Amino acid sequence: MNLLKTGALLLSATLLLLYSCSDTDPVHVKGVAKQNGSLKTAPEFTLKDANGSAVKLSDYRGKVVLLNFWATWCGPCKIEIPWFMEFEQQYKNQGFEVLGIAMDDDGWAAVKPYIAEHKMNYRVVLGDDAVANLYGGIDSLPTTFVINREGKVVDTHVGLIGKDDYISEIKSLLNDTNKDAVLSNSGSPAAALLSLGAIR
Amino acid sequence: MNIATPQTLSVKRGQTAQQKLQISLRSGFHVNSDKPRDEFLIPIKLTWTSGPLQTKQISYPKPEDVKVGDDTLSVFTGKFTIDTEFLAPPQAQAGIATMQGKLRYQACDSRSCKRPATVAVQVPVSIQ
Repeated sequence: MNLLKTGALLLSATLLLLYSCSDTDPVHVKGVAKQNGSLKTAPEFTLKDANGSAVKLSDYRGKVVLLNFWATWCGPCKIEIPWFMEFEQQYKNQGFEVLGIAMDDDGWAAVKPYIAEHKMNYRVVLGDDAVANLYGGIDSLPTTFVINREGKVVDTHVGLIGKDDYISEIKSLLNDTNKDAVLSNSGSPAAALLSLGAIR
Repeated sequence: MNIATPQTLSVKRGQTAQQKLQISLRSGFHVNSDKPRDEFLIPIKLTWTSGPLQTKQISYPKPEDVKVGDDTLSVFTGKFTIDTEFLAPPQAQAGIATMQGKLRYQACDSRSCKRPATVAVQVPVSIQ
């Protein structure tokens, strides 16, 4: 009986928490599609960039990726763009990239002038409903998926979040995967310890 | 966005009548005005596509300024109306008819934006 009461209380508290979230609150989902204890692989797509070149998400395997759904008419997206340009410059050499997916109905006619005006330094591809559906529908912009080097979605942010939050996530993933790289390159835990010793 | 169901608009042949489209937005949201300052932003736009009346003028309310990041946006919030002045041509057929239109808009709050939307608008008209 006590167990039932506890369960009911927990459910009520959860519902109250969900109900109290306003429409304007950004949504953050840690490990968005964690299934059976493991992170979900970011769905593969092929889209074209401004030069007409095909870009596949799998081309980015081995890198930490900020996959950002945005549009030229989106004010909050405009706030993030200079941050993403800074991240691209600062972390590119460590295996990080930003990939923008523009969701403008007017296509490159709207997006190309925007890229030029804002001097965007990261790659942008043109999105469509099919790719949006692969990623859960994309009801609001910006929506950003944080993808690790293994191509798994680690975080999802619907709406604008703080610049520092992104920096923490990027650094954490770059550091994690750098450690992983040492371990996986070494072949065995013993070899990993030896290689860590060698670094010292 | 919610658009109140328009009442029947009565108009005599050869005369004009004002139709007020009543719109309300959820708290915290805004739509771009009919004249956004940034060329990339999508203005709200009411278009009458078919029906027996002629559209003489569409008037939007005075916009508000809202700050998003470094930009000051020209927007509508809360409840507002878009007014249309219709003319019933002298040769219009008397009776009940419908004016069909569409409203295109794009809504945001301070942290995110909804994709642009177009909704159908219908106004019943009684021509005397």
